[in-house]
Amino acid sequence: MADATVDSTIVGRGNKDGADLFRRWFEELTAAAGEDRRGAYVFVMGSFCELLQTFDLPIVFPEINSLQTAVRRVAHEYLNEAEDYGYSPDICGYVKADVATQLRGGELPMGRIPKPGIAVYTNACNTYIKWAEIWERMYGIPTFVLDVPGTRAAGTQTWPGHPDFENDRRYVAAQIRELIPVLERVTGIGFDVDKLRETMGHANTMGRAWQRVLELNQSRPSLFNALSDGTIYLGVANGFRGTAEGASYFEDLVEEMEFKAAEGIGTLTEELYRLIFVGVPCYPIFRRFTELFTELGGTFVNSTYLWFASGGSNVGFQYDLEDPIESLAEGVLVSVRDAMDSMFFQTKILADMIDDFAADGIVYHPIKSCRTVSTGLADNRRSLMEERDIPSLFIESDMMDKRVVSEAQLKNRIDAFFEGLESRRQQAAIRQK
Amino acid sequence: MTVKVSVDSGITEEVFTEWRDQPLDEILYHCRELVEDPDYPTARRWRDAGGKIVGHFQVYFPEEIAHAAGLLPLKLRGATLEATQADSRFGSYLCSILKTSLELALSGRIELEMFVTHPICDAARNLAAVWGRNFPYPCQILYLPQNANSPHAAEYLRGEYDRVRRAVEEIAGRPVTEDDLRHSLEVFNENRALLRDLYAMKRDTPWQVSAEDAYVLTAVGGMIPREEHNELLRTVLPLLRERPGKAQDRIRVVFEGGFCEQPPLDLIRAIGRSCYVVDDDFLIGLRWILGDVPLDGDPLLSLATAYLEDSSYSPVQHDLRKPKEEKLLERIAGANAQAAIVTAAKMCEPGLEEQVAYTRALDRENVPYFVSEFEENMTSFDHLEIQLETFVENLLFE
Amino acid sequence: MAYAAGVDVGSTQTKAVIIDEQKRIVSRSLTETGANVIRAAENAFAEALADGDLREEEVEYVVGTGYGRYKVTFGNTQVTEISCHGRGAVHMFPDTRTVVDMGGQDTKAIRVSPVGEIVDFCMNDKCAAGTGRFLGAASAALDIPLPDLGPTALRGERPVKISTTCTVFAESEVLSWLGKGKKIEDILLGVHQSIAARSAGLLRRVGIEDEVTFTGGVAKNTAMIATLNDRLDLQVNVSDDSHYMGALGAALFALDHILASRAPAKARQDA
Repeated sequence: MADATVDSTIVGRGNKDGADLFRRWFEELTAAAGEDRRGAYVFVMGSFCELLQTFDLPIVFPEINSLQTAVRRVAHEYLNEAEDYGYSPDICGYVKADVATQLRGGELPMGRIPKPGIAVYTNACNTYIKWAEIWERMYGIPTFVLDVPGTRAAGTQTWPGHPDFENDRRYVAAQIRELIPVLERVTGIGFDVDKLRETMGHANTMGRAWQRVLELNQSRPSLFNALSDGTIYLGVANGFRGTAEGASYFEDLVEEMEFKAAEGIGTLTEELYRLIFVGVPCYPIFRRFTELFTELGGTFVNSTYLWFASGGSNVGFQYDLEDPIESLAEGVLVSVRDAMDSMFFQTKILADMIDDFAADGIVYHPIKSCRTVSTGLADNRRSLMEERDIPSLFIESDMMDKRVVSEAQLKNRIDAFFEGLESRRQQAAIRQK
Repeated sequence: MTVKVSVDSGITEEVFTEWRDQPLDEILYHCRELVEDPDYPTARRWRDAGGKIVGHFQVYFPEEIAHAAGLLPLKLRGATLEATQADSRFGSYLCSILKTSLELALSGRIELEMFVTHPICDAARNLAAVWGRNFPYPCQILYLPQNANSPHAAEYLRGEYDRVRRAVEEIAGRPVTEDDLRHSLEVFNENRALLRDLYAMKRDTPWQVSAEDAYVLTAVGGMIPREEHNELLRTVLPLLRERPGKAQDRIRVVFEGGFCEQPPLDLIRAIGRSCYVVDDDFLIGLRWILGDVPLDGDPLLSLATAYLEDSSYSPVQHDLRKPKEEKLLERIAGANAQAAIVTAAKMCEPGLEEQVAYTRALDRENVPYFVSEFEENMTSFDHLEIQLETFVENLLFE
Repeated sequence: MAYAAGVDVGSTQTKAVIIDEQKRIVSRSLTETGANVIRAAENAFAEALADGDLREEEVEYVVGTGYGRYKVTFGNTQVTEISCHGRGAVHMFPDTRTVVDMGGQDTKAIRVSPVGEIVDFCMNDKCAAGTGRFLGAASAALDIPLPDLGPTALRGERPVKISTTCTVFAESEVLSWLGKGKKIEDILLGVHQSIAARSAGLLRRVGIEDEVTFTGGVAKNTAMIATLNDRLDLQVNVSDDSHYMGALGAALFALDHILASRAPAKARQDA
């Protein structure tokens, strides 16, 4: 039995430290904006933080800024402003919140963000590309799309040595080499390969730990809620990728989870149903959305969101520091591809998750303003349900726009889903007798 | 230059014969009928004759590669039909073309041996997975480069094309040689040249070809073997030129927003009643490559290079050398147009996003424009027509 | 003899059903929901008691359902209308595998197992297209009372194609067809077909398995039944009590509670 002092400090440490790190990140961004320093604008799927950190650039994740406006319940003000500017109600809410943020000189509820000096992004989401074109027009800054080809067809992923993989890797590596002089020009700092080795080493530590944290949630009871707690971890996984703080945060998180697993400390007082979440969270009613499940004894043990929104860090890819550029190319290719797979080709991923996490049900949450994630979910559900006898819930809302989020409608469906889970359990008990 | 009419598919039969030996109006009538027919009769005939089909979703696909294997590349561009079965495969907030294209396959109207989509937008890139869960044949994504500015992009794309070549070889059951590819490049070069002639007529003497006729003459190309399309255009273009007619008092407009989902023919007709559509981006993928692809050298590399270096523009391809609003202004100036019709398909994210940049640039340059959304399945245009006519009247009586 | 009640507080109407231990309906009531939802629930229950000549104490357990289920303040518990419609439909038509419930505000497609367990469900929520409200808009635009809609539509021979999915625009589309000289019955048949198509789409999401039972207030509309049958290419079950299916399901859940509380403690532990 661990002693009480360890107990009291370790449980919940990840959430507390995560919130502290997040606050610090925004304080630093606000300070950078105050000094009129320019930032690197990046996205969660393929952020290239490992490389960007070596150029001493403040890192800005517009996706995270936008979702924060929803969590802090001011998203509608930002959305309205962008719609007045000309953007349609039918496009990505993250884009619109960012357009309004730029129009407001970077002002956000959490602080102020610096203007972009460069934008670096992959093709993992097409909206990234259209989004960066907006900054290109607003600021005339260099924008660099680092194209990362994904899986071509379900189950056909290739690996190092295969001619198709090598064709992709050469392309990614060539682009990284093309990006470096652009970064040198923008920052006036020379590229230092040893610094890159250092940040990649931190990313290795973080990736290993993140993979372990996810795996530990197979414990019964589960140790963290993938939807609520998981989102805090994601903030650190993105904002502090390639840093010593990020690496040590995740090592601590492993320690916390291992402790909770050993002590049987779960996230719910009574865990009745273990659920998997597929899609993007409902940020306009973020806390309430989770409660609609936890109040009925359901907890999210894993989610595809934790995979793709960490840029595929869940695979825990380990860079070879001897050959940093080639290895960065390979790691990005493998990780971002996995992030895309969890959005497009997720049938096997989910089937495995059901087994590994002993899930009782799957909750699909497609949203209006993210077609990347949402387009195929109805069909994925149809196909997974043919393969697996597991209850699933399909609810649509949005990640940003409270105009299309109806809590009463959501509650109705969630309640009915739990009624189904309960009656299924009763029927199973009757059959067993 | 000689072009062989039969491809090595072993299929010598023609799939679109209705227009043969007909007067011009009849030819155009049959083209309209074919383009609006959701049963794709030409694809059916191709299959009945033993042919195989590669269905490729909008916008651009290197059709030459499928053609070189003796397969029919069929452009999937939606249809005006109800997505009875496909509806339940998708979420709520999606464009129509995505659903109706899948509906064509689910309802058995079209049958394919292979399906290809591209990461043109967040919705369309999902299609390979959706299609693949519903059909047993290969369904894949062709990763056309989004970093057109990387010096390595052409070499990468050559490798990607080579992968597609291997995939179609498998379907065709025979190798695709460099000579096969060269022959296909030749056929498609001629096709693009003929389409350039058609568009020159739209631009220079728009009273000789109506907007809807130019549209269907282009669109038919995505539904029949290119050799047949070439013959059709070779026959029709001189007939159009000979047709008596004179310029009328209409405004010259560029139509923008038809790169993926297509407006219903009735809408194009309605626009044509009050405007000369002197240039547009309808089915831009069929006209993506602007010049001839060189026939010497490595054909796949030439094709890949042409995609990147000698090509049109659209909201779904990123290229720092082609800011879309600047390209639109060039298109307007190049066609000597007075105004632009800037549309987007309903729920089309890239189209809607680009509208903002387009309209700002047009404002800046003082080019009059009309903004609208459309859907391929819309049946009532009263609203739209009144607005458009008012817009035109304003310009005419200014 | 103990009685169980279900009170279904819908968006337009509130229904109450009381059943006996043999699961027979002994009384029912129907009132407009109006603005005071709590009052509507109380009234419906009181009227059902009066209809069955029962005293409140005789009803051992009350389950609230419908969108206003938490406003059934005198109820013992709440169950969603999704579960209730599934349960009620299987009770009325034991071979039911799919339920389509058309109410004022939304349409639900529900797939049930042979024991009445909800396997899957799906609802329209973006707009009211394909619901009673959509019919209400058409009825207002054409100035035809709601009960006459079905019979009028059935006289249609050449249905128009209604393309809008929006209740607000439905009215203007209906009027534009009138302006084009279309017959009222053809327009109405078009409206019904459009709703049937949308409902079929919803049903396809959960999978259509025979038998299909049609519940909810709109199930009284004969043209809706006919167009739905046409569209699905089968005969849907419709009960005279289709309107009360949610309340009936709720009453059945209430009876479960009564019977379970009577079971010997030992047996309950085993379950």
